[in-house]
Amino acid sequence: MEHDDMERDIARRSALIYLPIATGAGLLFLLAASVFGNYPLVAKIGGTVWVGLLSLIVSMPLVTARVKKQIGRS
Amino acid sequence: MSAVTRSLSLPIQGMTCASCVAHVEGALKEVPGASKIVVNLGNNKATLTYDPAQATLADVIRAVDEVGYAVAKAELTLQVNGMTCASCVAHVEGALTELDGVTGAVVNLGLGTARVTYVPGVVSASAMRRAVRDAGYEAQERDEGADALDRERQAREDEIKRQGRNLLIAGTIGLIVMTGTFYDMLGPFKAVVPVWLSYKWVIGLLTTPIVFGPGRQFFTNSWRGLKHGVADMNLLYATGIGAAYGIAVINTLFPKAGFGGEGATFFESAALLATFIILGRWLEALTRGRTSEAIRKLMKLQPKVARVIRAGQEEEIPADELEIGDLIMVRPGESIPVDGVVREGYSAVDEAMLTGESLPVEKKTGDAVIGGTLNKTGAFKFAATRVGKDTALAQIIHLVENAQASKAPIQKLADWVAGHFILGVHMLAVAVFVFWFFAGYPAFFNPNSSFILSPYKLGAIGVFGFSLLLSVTVLVISCPCAVGLATPSAMMAGTGKAAEYGVLFKGAEAIENASHLKTIVFDKTGTLTKGEPSVTDLVALDEGRTTSDAGLDEPLSFVISPSSLLRLAAITEKNSEHPLGEAIVRAAQAKGLILADAESFNSIPGHGVAARVDGRAVLLGTRKLMREQNVDFAPLLSRAEGLEADGKTVMFVAVDGQPTGLIAVADTLKEHSAEAIGHLHRLGLEVVMITGDNRRTAEAIARQVGIDRVLAEVLPQDKAEEVKKLQGLGRKVAMVGDGVNDAPALAQSDVGMAIGSGTDVAKETGHVILIKDDLRDVVVALEVARATMNKVKQNLFWAFVYNTLGIPLAAGLLYPFVALIISPELAGLLMAVSSVTVTLNTLLLKGFKPSVRREDQPRRGAGEPSAQLAAASSAGGD
Repeated sequence: MEHDDMERDIARRSALIYLPIATGAGLLFLLAASVFGNYPLVAKIGGTVWVGLLSLIVSMPLVTARVKKQIGRS
Repeated sequence: MSAVTRSLSLPIQGMTCASCVAHVEGALKEVPGASKIVVNLGNNKATLTYDPAQATLADVIRAVDEVGYAVAKAELTLQVNGMTCASCVAHVEGALTELDGVTGAVVNLGLGTARVTYVPGVVSASAMRRAVRDAGYEAQERDEGADALDRERQAREDEIKRQGRNLLIAGTIGLIVMTGTFYDMLGPFKAVVPVWLSYKWVIGLLTTPIVFGPGRQFFTNSWRGLKHGVADMNLLYATGIGAAYGIAVINTLFPKAGFGGEGATFFESAALLATFIILGRWLEALTRGRTSEAIRKLMKLQPKVARVIRAGQEEEIPADELEIGDLIMVRPGESIPVDGVVREGYSAVDEAMLTGESLPVEKKTGDAVIGGTLNKTGAFKFAATRVGKDTALAQIIHLVENAQASKAPIQKLADWVAGHFILGVHMLAVAVFVFWFFAGYPAFFNPNSSFILSPYKLGAIGVFGFSLLLSVTVLVISCPCAVGLATPSAMMAGTGKAAEYGVLFKGAEAIENASHLKTIVFDKTGTLTKGEPSVTDLVALDEGRTTSDAGLDEPLSFVISPSSLLRLAAITEKNSEHPLGEAIVRAAQAKGLILADAESFNSIPGHGVAARVDGRAVLLGTRKLMREQNVDFAPLLSRAEGLEADGKTVMFVAVDGQPTGLIAVADTLKEHSAEAIGHLHRLGLEVVMITGDNRRTAEAIARQVGIDRVLAEVLPQDKAEEVKKLQGLGRKVAMVGDGVNDAPALAQSDVGMAIGSGTDVAKETGHVILIKDDLRDVVVALEVARATMNKVKQNLFWAFVYNTLGIPLAAGLLYPFVALIISPELAGLLMAVSSVTVTLNTLLLKGFKPSVRREDQPRRGAGEPSAQLAAASSAGGD
């Protein structure tokens, strides 16, 4: 039980970090697509989702592993 | 200091007295943050509390090690399911080594095992299992012996069946999807294909069960890993398949959404990508187990039942219920169930499956027999001396298993690269998408462009669809699946191949080091030579003339012939226990001479012996003895000096006070020493001999065997230092010697080879164990090591060449010039081919035969264990 609680805690703390990172990356793309060039809205949204998704995939394991290590230490 | 401290109870090895306790306590007190230290000699334990913020368990262990003691460690092997690539290896190893109390973890992807070294009492097996599960894989403690064999085989067969079923579903539906997608290009075949099959929504409906049926494994596995902070290659596939399918669904349902419309419904990409990846998984499952077939075949050698004689009655019992001392009956054609000693009967036993000895070995009362070997001709009874885990077969299996589960340095590097690859590839995919979205598409897009090997035009695909396509293809083509298999599959095949010839590598590192050797050092006595003196020359004196009989079979032509000289000397030495005297007696017995008892015998310590034989006074001994007894050996002195110059020990024989002859004795070369050295020279190695003998004797032996460099008069304790000096010249050095006497030198060398250990392999030191007392096995070891490492390099080449060539192409590097891109499904096919190429290349080791064994007759007889092992213990099965 204690172990499951710890897992949930790790997942929650990690999500608080990687979700903003991924969202930020997606929004950055949206901003760039809006500023540079005349892209269709669908392409901008699709690109935002794709960049956000890939950023989520990159940051999720990195952040989770780091948070797990920190919690393990303390 | 942090608020949280940890308590530890460590098992300590090497403590013998109270001062040891003080030393260990003192060492532990030096560890920052350590307190409440109690060292107990009674139970050999040290308990302490430490602050993890200031020191780690590794620091504590190091502190104990540094004062000359050791924290006891244990090993555990976990069976890990769900690993698919080299990045999985890194994740599982990382999860285990993060645990407090785990000092090392080595994961073998091929075997699906994790060998964990840990401190007992600090970490439990359940904690290890949980850590592996948390990393997204399944783990259980590995069974041993036949149960493990059955369970592993079952698991492998289940995986083959599961992926086969997936392939059947995905392949069949994928073919229909392809037909529908390329309906317009079917030409005359259109007549037999219904037109509705080409409707996008039909193709979408057909693709859906592939993605969510056979393809579901990629999504569930990658999600399980992501939740625990792990990115493996399933993620690459899931992203690729998911993106292709998602966009295709949007473009089908909402063609005006702006993602490329109906011209960009890549259902066939999603369907075929999933199919090809599953094809790769299925082929991998099919071939992966074959590289570890050697262990299975070795296990199969163990007979299930034994015919034991109890209370005078024969009864069949399970072989694992045998006990030491049991009397066991073996009939012709039966396998010997355990190790033992023959008590009654005579037979010839085929030991090839364990020792590599090609000819059956005669067994008579008193001879040792090895469990798992095959009785050929006669029946005999033997008493069990080693049973269960202690038998030679069990020890060999354990050793080969350990070697296969170990990791070569080159593999550690490959695993590290692959482990960091996945996230790097996702970052690359972002970069590719961003580049083509903002710069590439506006500058280079050509509506007439198409996929490589496909007539399908990209047509009206929009900027998002095009950029996404390239990004997805990069993800798919980057999968490092073949990298993870490249080294372990070759190592497994190599260790199995070597075991077939009675050469046991203790680890993958030994194979890698053996392939880089520049110098090989041989101990002389007992390694190059037989290690016991034997008569080499007889020189008889008659009326001032001499005759010699080096071969001991010259006809008698003088009054005192060489044979008569030998007979007289042998009778004189018959009661002597001196090794030189025993050599003379052995030589006479070998010639069939009848040795009566001497009428009297007197030993002259340090000088020789005197005896009365056939009524004559015989004096046999050193030159000094003859001088003291006033026997003039002037006519034979020059001959004696010549023999001594050849490194032989000369004994002088006088009869009735008259000089009669000389007998030269020397340690002789083993049968195959010169042949082995010749082979090693041809392999380009410098061969060195090391010995405690004087230089003259050593150089004489070196001349006979063809060795060009001699390290003479080296004390046993200094041999390791000499090896170190050679290593100091920047060479990789192997030492070949007796596993017991030469242990320090074997340990110092890069590859220590213990020769002639017989089948009691567990006791041997050294990195390589040569079961037979045949120096040609050194050549076998080196050639197998070189062949294995060649295979590793070829495999790594094939694994990386697809990635290094494929990634730039997939990223669209050539698109501006040729208007062609790689489709995701072609990328998937290339990755599947990459894995299969690597595994099939490894299986080629099956046909490898060392140069010194090429003249051996091929073994006949289907069903003979030897034939079975020969067929399997190399690269793969039959």
